[in-house]
Amino acid sequence: MPSSRNLADCRFYRERMGADSKPRPWGIAELEAFATLDRGDPFAGRVRPGVTPKLSLQLEATADPSIWIALDPPELDRWAVVVERMWKRWGTAAGETIAFFDYGSSPLVLLASSGYVGYLRRGAAERLGLTAICNDGVAAMAGRMVRIVDALEPSMLIVRRDLTAPFSAALEASGVSLANRIRWVAISDVEGCATARETAQLSARLGVAVWRILRSDAAFLIAGECRNCRAFHLDRAYLAESLPSGHVAITTRFARTCPAVRFDIGVALLTNGGCSLEPRAQRVEC
Amino acid sequence: MLSDARTEPFDDLDRLSPEALDRWWTRKLKRAVRLAFDELPFYRERFAAAGFDPTRFRTLDDLRSIPISRKEDLLTVTRNSKSKFDAVKSYAAAPDARMTVSLSSGTSGTTFVMHTRRWRKLQGYSSSRAHWWAGLREGTPLVMSAPAWHAYASIQPSIAMHFSNPCVVVSGTFLPRFADRIVDAMLAFRPRFLTMFLPMVFSILATARRDGISGDQLFAGVETLVVTGAPITPGMRSHLQDLTRVKRVAEIAGSSENLLAVDCAHAAGLHVVPDTCYVEVLDRKSGRPVADGNRGAVVHSSVIPAGSLYLRYDGGDAGVIDRSLCPCGLPSPRIKLLGRWEDCFNVGDNTLLPYDVQFALETEVPELRGIAMVITREGLADGMLRLLLAEPSGEAATLLDQARARLSRRFGVPVEVSAVRDLPLRFKGVPPILSEREAASAA
Repeated sequence: MPSSRNLADCRFYRERMGADSKPRPWGIAELEAFATLDRGDPFAGRVRPGVTPKLSLQLEATADPSIWIALDPPELDRWAVVVERMWKRWGTAAGETIAFFDYGSSPLVLLASSGYVGYLRRGAAERLGLTAICNDGVAAMAGRMVRIVDALEPSMLIVRRDLTAPFSAALEASGVSLANRIRWVAISDVEGCATARETAQLSARLGVAVWRILRSDAAFLIAGECRNCRAFHLDRAYLAESLPSGHVAITTRFARTCPAVRFDIGVALLTNGGCSLEPRAQRVEC
Repeated sequence: MLSDARTEPFDDLDRLSPEALDRWWTRKLKRAVRLAFDELPFYRERFAAAGFDPTRFRTLDDLRSIPISRKEDLLTVTRNSKSKFDAVKSYAAAPDARMTVSLSSGTSGTTFVMHTRRWRKLQGYSSSRAHWWAGLREGTPLVMSAPAWHAYASIQPSIAMHFSNPCVVVSGTFLPRFADRIVDAMLAFRPRFLTMFLPMVFSILATARRDGISGDQLFAGVETLVVTGAPITPGMRSHLQDLTRVKRVAEIAGSSENLLAVDCAHAAGLHVVPDTCYVEVLDRKSGRPVADGNRGAVVHSSVIPAGSLYLRYDGGDAGVIDRSLCPCGLPSPRIKLLGRWEDCFNVGDNTLLPYDVQFALETEVPELRGIAMVITREGLADGMLRLLLAEPSGEAATLLDQARARLSRRFGVPVEVSAVRDLPLRFKGVPPILSEREAASAA
């Protein structure tokens, strides 16, 4: 985890540093406000001046100004491990196929394979022995997604939240059923997560288990819903803390090039351990 | 272009003579053909049906005994197979569980292309060669321009790592509505080398213009702009140079099925990238090789013995080949893809592609180069060429009469040219053939 001295090298954190040598919790709005003040810095003060990261990724959640996060190769691998462990918790088997209906720039896609992003040694799919295929993440490609399901027989699907409706409609129109052929579907949102009610309805419509993904790319946060307790299990790559405001802040241990310390995910309930499937995992309900 | 510019060799393969390259290709193709026969049911069956014995493969001429495959053949084998996935694997060498699969979409349907780690390694090296020819060097940030469903996305990571280029991943996908994000990436990271689908170039220029950023400001520092996805005419190349002030505008022609060619500084055809594929241009009726400069079907054979393998694959492109020595020193022949045969049309005594109309217009009236244009179906049905041009600005507006007269003389058919108020930017480059109603609704 970056020390407070290292954090002080980053202007964003230097200006947020409290008397306890910890930065004040922050969210996307604070990052955008900082970026607006210095449009010449694509990383909004979170990368030390003079550093050229091997990978820069544009945040989809912010547009004006455009903000980037950065990673070096070992961090990229650590992030892929988070995704690997999330999929593993839901269940995968080597030799199966995972299909994405999302933008190729989504970390969930990028982290799947070294074939999708430079400097990633082994992606989550490669680690689990899975074949990966990505369809373009636009509604007009819903029919092609059905063709992928039909031809490549994936066992797992990752679908962008805004594409669940066109995808469901395309499945119904073509008479292709996911029941008995898909192990699980996971829904990813650009920032935050789908509601439990939404995924329950989708699960009923598709006839398969549907899990939620909690995501915030600014903090490299990816967490999957637990099939047992239905809370989001945080990987050990993250450290969560409850804030007096009732919010939860996340610190990402592997993020050094572009530190993510005390990222405020909003109102949430944090529980330390307690789920029988992963007794020591920190869990978040939101 | 520089008359004496030589391409700096990427490695010893670029230093071979054309004859030595033919021998190299023969060895590589012999291995690929053998592998296809030994391991790939799709090819074993086709070889048997054609009576082709792979052990008799000795020279490049022996390739002609191998039956040509088309997308329809791949779709048929998938359609008729109990397991579609197994059918896709039937033309893939050593498919493994850790593959990525990309999509090759088109009017006839979607096929799947399998990329194993070995394929990515070999294709990545070969594609690094292609990008080296185009001017990519170490250090510059590489803006990742391909969506993950596309085969090019499987290659870009290898290219970036070969040259130690920092990767810049733009969020979203490759549609005009995401142009602002690419503009942001260019302004923030100032790449010296940029690869882009042709229509996107115009989208980002328009987006930047709306924000008060001129083309030369947007492309400041870019030394090479590589355009892909459509054949560019000489006029389009200079139009792009005018708009962006980029010194070198290069073209890469490629397909998901392992066709790859890049132009050198002479810009007189695209050099076949030898460690990706071998290319034939064939007469569509006789199946025999056409003479240099004559138009034919572009048929290629992949030399990469990994992942989906395409041997004598006709992707539906029309093109020409030039086997003469290039002053740049690269040994491989040059090809130029001119369009899709399915877009070919007859008017008067001419058999034309949209490229020909674009080329004719910019040749006859250079002031109109780069203008967005539509060829109407109604005109072709009436035996004439009826063009809709985006309303030219300034003095160019007076040139429509010239265009009409000169194109009519050139093609020997009646020509009508109408200015329309608005045409989408994606119609710049290669004009589509549309009904007037379709053109109006697209505007």
